Amino acid sequence: MSPRLASFSSPAGGGGAERSEAEGVSPANAGAAPSVSFADSSPAGGGARTFAGKLATMAGQPLHEIGPAGAGFEAAALGFTLALAASWAGPAGVLWAGEDAAFAEEGAPYPAGLAQYGLPLDRLIVARAKKREDALWAAEQALAASGAIVICALGAQGKPLDLKASRRLLLFAERYSSRCLLLMPENGPSAAWTRWRVAPAQSDAAPDELGLPAFRAELTRNRGGPAGAAFTVDWNAHERCFSERAVARALSAADTDGPVDPRRARAV
Amino acid sequence: MIRAGQGPSDGRPLAVYSKENGAYQLQGIDARASALGLTLAMSLADARAMQPKLEAVEADPEEDARALDNIAAWCERFTPIVVVDPPEGLFLDISGCAHLFGGEEKLRAEIVTRLQAQGFASRAAIAPTPGAAWAFARYRREPSPPQGGGGEDLAEALAALPVDALRLDPNAAALLRRLGLKTIGQILHAPRSSFTARAGENAMLRLDQALGRTREALTPRRPAPPVFALRRFLEPVFTADAVLQVTQDLCGDAIEKLDVRGAGVLRAELVLFGVDGRDRVIGVNASKPLREVKPLMRLFREKLSIVGENLDAQFGFEAARLDVVRLAALNERSRQLVSVEAAAANADALSAVVDVLSSRLGAKRVVRPQLHDEHAPERVAGWRAALAENKASKPVEPPADGVQRRPVRLFSPGQQIEVMASVPDGPPIRFRWRRVMREVVRAEGPERISGDWQKRERTRDYYRVEDKQGRRYWLYREGFYGETETQPRWYVHGLFA
Repeated sequence: MSPRLASFSSPAGGGGAERSEAEGVSPANAGAAPSVSFADSSPAGGGARTFAGKLATMAGQPLHEIGPAGAGFEAAALGFTLALAASWAGPAGVLWAGEDAAFAEEGAPYPAGLAQYGLPLDRLIVARAKKREDALWAAEQALAASGAIVICALGAQGKPLDLKASRRLLLFAERYSSRCLLLMPENGPSAAWTRWRVAPAQSDAAPDELGLPAFRAELTRNRGGPAGAAFTVDWNAHERCFSERAVARALSAADTDGPVDPRRARAV
Repeated sequence: MIRAGQGPSDGRPLAVYSKENGAYQLQGIDARASALGLTLAMSLADARAMQPKLEAVEADPEEDARALDNIAAWCERFTPIVVVDPPEGLFLDISGCAHLFGGEEKLRAEIVTRLQAQGFASRAAIAPTPGAAWAFARYRREPSPPQGGGGEDLAEALAALPVDALRLDPNAAALLRRLGLKTIGQILHAPRSSFTARAGENAMLRLDQALGRTREALTPRRPAPPVFALRRFLEPVFTADAVLQVTQDLCGDAIEKLDVRGAGVLRAELVLFGVDGRDRVIGVNASKPLREVKPLMRLFREKLSIVGENLDAQFGFEAARLDVVRLAALNERSRQLVSVEAAAANADALSAVVDVLSSRLGAKRVVRPQLHDEHAPERVAGWRAALAENKASKPVEPPADGVQRRPVRLFSPGQQIEVMASVPDGPPIRFRWRRVMREVVRAEGPERISGDWQKRERTRDYYRVEDKQGRRYWLYREGFYGETETQPRWYVHGLFA
C-alpha cells in the first residue's frame, strides 16, 4: 500500500505510470488498497470499500464528472471538485475553465478563499467563456499541457452535454496525461470514468464551531467497477487530503488496541 | 478634396473656394477651370464674372483631413511608415519595401496610378530625404526622380527649384523672393551668415533637411513597428488556407529579423490589405517573448479561426504585413526553455495555453488570482489578465487547522437576506435567502471588519454559519443594533464549499 500512496502524491508528471497501474486494477481489488477494511464503510456490492481506495484509482483516470446531489448543493459539488484538483495539482497547475453561466449564479471565485482551500494560487488560471463550446475548447487546450489539472465547469442552462464532447475531453486527457474534472449539474451520457453526486455534510466539530469542509459524495457511475457507494469525507486543505469519517472513527476506536497507523486511512 | 467623377457631369468647370481674409478665394480648380483661365487665389466673385457657369463648392477642411487620412491608411499596404502632412501631402518611408514592388520607380508609378483609379490625382517623388521628396513632388516638371541621389546630385537637382520648394511659409518665401533669391540654387551658394535673421534661418534649416545634413523626425500615422515583414501577392488571396500560409511566411520573416536582434515577440499584428481598399488587423499577444514560428502561428491560427467568417475576403487580399508591435529581449534562459526543455517545463506549457486562450476568449477572460494588501474583503483579492507580465502570486498556505475562514465564492455586492430571528449582536437563527428558509445550526463570529471611512463604508460583523444540511455561508451584518432607528441589514457575502 505504501508505494501506491507515494504514486498519487507525486504530482501529475508521472501520469503515464499512474494510469497503467490504475487501469490494471480490477474492480474487485480496486478498493482493497488500504489493508484495513471496515464493515461499516463498505458499500453493498463491494467495489471501492473506502474513499481512499477509490481516490487512489481515480488519480490515474483521465476524466471525472462531478455534480450536485440536489438543488442548492452547487457549492458542495464545486468544493469537492476543487479539493480533488488541489490534491492532484502538480507543477503544471490548475486551469479552471467555465462558461459564464457557471460562474455567475453562485458568485465569483474568490482568491482569498481558494488559497485557504489548498489551491496553488501561483499556478491557477481561470478562463471564462461566453459560450459552452468555448469553455469546452478552453478545457481541451489546457488538457494538452501535459500533467495539467483542468476543471471544466458548465452551467445548468442549455442542452445536456453530448457524449461526443465528453469523449473529446477524455481523449485529450488520455493523450497528454492530464486530468479533467467536469463539473456540471445534469445527468447525461458521459465518457467520464466516474460520476459523483455531492451534497454538503455537517461539520464534524464542537457544537459552536465550524469544522473542515465536509461532503457526502455518492459514486453514481464507475467505469472501473460497481457504483452506488457513498462516502462522508472531510477535506483538510492544509494536509491536502480527504479523511473519511467512518474510517477515521473506526481507526480511533481501534487505536486503543491496535497498532494501526491513522495515516493509512487518508488518501492524498 | 473632390474625387474625379464627383464633379459636375455636364462639363462645367469646377472650383473649390474658402474664406480668406474676409473674401472668398479659389482654393482648388479642376483642369477645365484652369484651361478657361481661372487661377488659384482668385476671388470667387472674379471667377464667377469670368465664368458664369462655374460650379463652385465651399472647402470642407475636416472632410479633406478625413480623406487624406483614408489615403494614408490605404498607403500602409506599401510600408508601415506613413506620415500625414496636411493639408494635402503624405510621406511614405519605403526603405526596405521598394524591392517588393519591382523597384522604387515602379512603386511610385503604382501608387500614382492606383490613386488615379480611385479618383485622386496625385504627384509623387522619391528622394533620400523627406524635404527633397516634398520639393520634387511639387516643383519638378519631369516625374522621374534622380536615382541614388548622393549629396551632390541632390543639391544639383534641388538647385533649379524655386525657394517655395523648401516648405517655407508663404511670407518667408515672399521675403526671399523680394531679396532676389528665387531659386534654391541661389540660397545654396549664398554665404550662410547672411541668413541668420528672420525667414532666412528657417530656410537654412529646411535646406539642410532637404539635403540630409540635418535629420528630420517625422511622426508616422501609426507608430512604426520595431520589426515588420511585408509580402504582396501576384494574385489576390481569398481562402483561409492561403491567408494562413502567408501568415506563416510572414512569421518566418519576422522571426528571422528578430533573431538577429536577439528578441522575441510579445505582440504582433497581422494587417491584411484588401483589394477593396479595406484593411483587417488581427493582433495576438504572448505572455512571454516568442522566438519561434510555431507558437506564434498557433496564436494566429486561433485568432484567424474566429475572425475567419468576418474577414470578408470578397475581393481578396493583395498584400499582408506582420508588425511586431512589442518585442522583448530574450535572455539565454528563456531561449533554452522554449526550444529545448519545452516539454519538461509544465508550467511553461500552461503559459503557452494562456496565450492561446487569451487570443480567442479575450485577455480579460483568462485570469490569474491576485492578493492585495487590503482590508476590505472585496478588495483583498482580485483577478488580473494572465497575459500581463507580472510577478506570480506568492503561494499562500491554508490555515493549519484546515478550517476555512474565507469562502471560495464571493458575491459582489453581497446579497441581502431576510433574518427571521436573531439574538442582538449575534448570528441569525433562521434566515431566508433566495426564497428558501435556512436553519442555522452552527455559527462562528463575529469577525469585525471596519469599512473605509473615507468611502463612508460601515463596519461589518461577519459570521460563518452552517445550516441544517451542512451548507455554509459567509454572512455579515452592516452596522450595529441600536445604532440607528432601523434594523441593521444582513447580507450573504459568500459561500463556503
